[in-house]
Amino acid sequence: MSVTNLLNNWAAVRHFHPIDDKPHDPYKWAMAIDLDACIGCNACAVACYAENNLPVVGREKFQHGQAMHWMRIERYWNEDSREFPDQGAEFLPMMCQQCEAAPCETVCPVGATNHTQDGLNSQIYNRCIGSRYCSANCPYKVRYFNWYDYPTTDNVWPAEMNYQLNPDVTVRGKGVMEKCTFCVQRLRAAEVTAKGEGRIVREGEVQTACQQSCPTNAISFGNLVDPESRVYKQWKAQQVDLAKDEQEKDKREGGTDLRGYRIFEDLRPYPSVMYLERVRESAV
Amino acid sequence: MIDSESTKNLSGQAFDRRDFLKVLGFGGTAVALSGCGNTSIEDGKETVVSYVEAKDYVIPGVAVYFNSTCAQCDAGCSITGKIREGRVLKLEGNPESSINRGKLCGLGQASVQHHYNPDRVREPLLRNGDKGQAISWEKAYELINEKLQGAKGEEVAFITGDVSGHQKVLLTNYIDSLGSKNHFVYEAVAPAVVRAGNLKSYGVEMPRYRIDKAKVVLSFGADFLGTWISPVHFAQQYAAFRKGVDGQRGVLIQAESKMTLTGANADRWLAVRPGTEGILALGIINALGIATGDVAELVKDYDRARVSRDTGVEPSNIDKIAAILRLRSPSLILAGSAAEGYVHGMQNADAINLLNHVLGNVGKTIEAPVSVPFPQLTQTKGNTASLKKLNDDLAAGKYKVLFNIATNPVYTAPASYKYGDSMAKAGFKVAFAHYLDETALQADLVLPLDSEMEDWGTHVPEYLADTAQINIQQPLMERLHANTRGMGDILLTLVKQRKPEEYKAFDDYYGYLRYAMLQNKAALGGSGDDDVFWNDTLSKGIVKLSGASGALSAKAAVEGLKLPQPEEADKQYPLRLIPSVTSNLRDGRHTNQPWIQESPDPLTTIVWDSWVEVHPKKALELGIVEGDIVKVTSKTGSVNVQVYVFPGIHPEAVSIPMGRGHEAMGRYAKGYGVNPFGIMDAVFEGSTGELAMHETRVNIAKTGQRVIVVKDEGPAGGKQMGRRVALSRSTDQVDLSKEV
Repeated sequence: MSVTNLLNNWAAVRHFHPIDDKPHDPYKWAMAIDLDACIGCNACAVACYAENNLPVVGREKFQHGQAMHWMRIERYWNEDSREFPDQGAEFLPMMCQQCEAAPCETVCPVGATNHTQDGLNSQIYNRCIGSRYCSANCPYKVRYFNWYDYPTTDNVWPAEMNYQLNPDVTVRGKGVMEKCTFCVQRLRAAEVTAKGEGRIVREGEVQTACQQSCPTNAISFGNLVDPESRVYKQWKAQQVDLAKDEQEKDKREGGTDLRGYRIFEDLRPYPSVMYLERVRESAV
Repeated sequence: MIDSESTKNLSGQAFDRRDFLKVLGFGGTAVALSGCGNTSIEDGKETVVSYVEAKDYVIPGVAVYFNSTCAQCDAGCSITGKIREGRVLKLEGNPESSINRGKLCGLGQASVQHHYNPDRVREPLLRNGDKGQAISWEKAYELINEKLQGAKGEEVAFITGDVSGHQKVLLTNYIDSLGSKNHFVYEAVAPAVVRAGNLKSYGVEMPRYRIDKAKVVLSFGADFLGTWISPVHFAQQYAAFRKGVDGQRGVLIQAESKMTLTGANADRWLAVRPGTEGILALGIINALGIATGDVAELVKDYDRARVSRDTGVEPSNIDKIAAILRLRSPSLILAGSAAEGYVHGMQNADAINLLNHVLGNVGKTIEAPVSVPFPQLTQTKGNTASLKKLNDDLAAGKYKVLFNIATNPVYTAPASYKYGDSMAKAGFKVAFAHYLDETALQADLVLPLDSEMEDWGTHVPEYLADTAQINIQQPLMERLHANTRGMGDILLTLVKQRKPEEYKAFDDYYGYLRYAMLQNKAALGGSGDDDVFWNDTLSKGIVKLSGASGALSAKAAVEGLKLPQPEEADKQYPLRLIPSVTSNLRDGRHTNQPWIQESPDPLTTIVWDSWVEVHPKKALELGIVEGDIVKVTSKTGSVNVQVYVFPGIHPEAVSIPMGRGHEAMGRYAKGYGVNPFGIMDAVFEGSTGELAMHETRVNIAKTGQRVIVVKDEGPAGGKQMGRRVALSRSTDQVDLSKEV
């Protein structure tokens, strides 16, 4: 795609939310993460390394902020100047929120990051020129840049370790941006299989790597436009609407007893991940 | 499957696109292509296998799945390996196992990096001065035989970790055949005091804990979500517990001196003065006011004021805990490793278990274990007392031949044992090893083991969930290195040296295993054709057995329960050292797996290094800040380590995680961090003789150096900078019954 072509056909390349002319049909992949079930064990993050060929960068590069963990567990304290964090820590799994109106997409000079029809924020590695504007514009800081050519860096994938690489996922070279894809390789495989059988992907047929490993089932993932899916039911029960920047339930006087929320909703990225607030017992 | 050589050729090299097409398109005609260029394939230097003649189970681009068992810890989770083109790529949990039900922790995920590790030992190595000289297996076996000729049975000793299944049977037979009785089962991090306490309180060593049935869980330092016994299983129970019945969410209270992963998930986390967990338990019994007889007599002096003074827990909190325990039943009280790491660890455990009796939880949330109908296959239970005994014996020069099977005591023994020196006194030391770790480096003969993904085996985990089961371990791919061997195969060869007649029918361990399983086909629930049963067993990866469950003793063990008063702080060494067990590193056997090194510690988010946790109040008092390198000194020794100021620790304690500070093992382990075993005092629990891990006292002093702590959290630490990202609310503000 040349720059001229890109500029002339910008509207076709870039789709803003909401997209009335192209509804999510038949898929809109979305997630719900229950922070009350999440125990912060990191199983999801390691599973992501295994599934998505993430390089281990080592101590020095980690210190420089160059870790490549698409999924990370953020840990917060909420002790409000008490002596001890007597309500424990707050863990929050953070990865690309697959925003419907992604701030990263608008700033990409070459259209390397786009919205797909099934509601993913895609990253096209061989179109990416490494401007890193997307990362600068991401409010969640979930985009990771290849500052080095990891496949040829010492001790990243030394002999034999490279046998573990997942052939379904590109190994990224120097100078490109990458991020969580909702395990797009698994989604595509499931979509193609389903299409071949003349149906859509059923609930439970496809899992992301993080969801699959989670010991407490804190992560649910599925098709948000499929009323049979758990994600659809959760979003509906929590009254979280994908297309709103402020939910009706939050406008109600006296608040709500529902705990579903999206992070930085008011910035209008329309994220595809709903979190469920952590709960703590009031009696103790 | 493709033979391993061609697998390497297909996958190990950096292909360019042309080569790739050639391999796919003209695979069968490699000979005709030679001379067309100068790539290695065209030169005919590499074997090219045509996919047209693919071996069984190989369809290019399509994964096949085999079931096996995870060997990263002893919980015995069943795994499903994804295999493509003859390579294992990723592990998932096997949904059929009642232990992990399709889930797998990060440690389990990382075991592929154990298998593919570049630092694995690849050849049998014989000591030649400071170097290891590669020798053949025949020579190695000959040498072992020769050395054993010159030693009497009682002069031969074995040290292993937990072992179960048919490997255990072979090992036991081999040890018997040598006339030796010296099998030391050693686990550096083992719930040995828990077992002894349970036996006394419930009549069984390891009951089944039903967190999912409890409405309140009060845990005294049991890190059941991170490291305790069977964490993936307990995490699933925990998820059910939090969902609760009728939307009434389970309540978790954690009392400990250093916050564990479980503590970080508690509704109420109580910072207990180190070693006073038992006092708190008796204080709660007192506050409950429902105990009678002996128990009431025992707790009558433990009033709130005194308990609060001793433990540092506020009286109001004791009242709240007693109130919720009275109100919501059944509950479950857990005594974990943290409560037991003291000289009076057993007393602590007794006091804590007493609470379960008082509250009537025994039989409700503490159930009898399922028994395994094959006692010869059950797990031998490792502990630390065995290492003490072995060390004493070695130091006294009692052993001529020492077999060290996949343990690393040179690294995990407290420095005061001087285990390395003791080991040197054994005439001939054989190490069965995956890596050249600290112990293997001191051996005379190192025998390289297959990884768990190349080897056959059976495992019976100590903690069984719904039913008794035998877990099958089978190769997920062909051997990576030609000269490694499976533990079972080695044992079979060795036992054949002694009893050739008995074992002559078995060519290899696979044959032995198959024969042994088929012999018991009926008892294992099989019928009909042998091959059908065997293939079915391998494909499932689990043999479920119907085992009767035993009974629990309903009587509380009050007799002899006497807790010591908390000690005054030592002037020279005012702080307690808590060597913490973290869920990814544990006792340090997996430190050479880079995903583990780069997986942030859940609580501090630190990677690739060790740290000492200091409470903010103590840090202020000592004038230290995050990143200061301090010298932590005990009676035994000292280490220099970076400070992490951490609110989740009692101000009288500091904590250093275990697992780092390797001096050998491999490129990802060596030289990162410090080893707290190196400064641990040799103090022992009074009744079990287990190493009392929390009894070491230390002081800390600034060295004047400061570093930037390498961690995942940002400069704001755990603060949310005005914008709340992770939200939290209390149960009275939320209606959980409406949730999906």
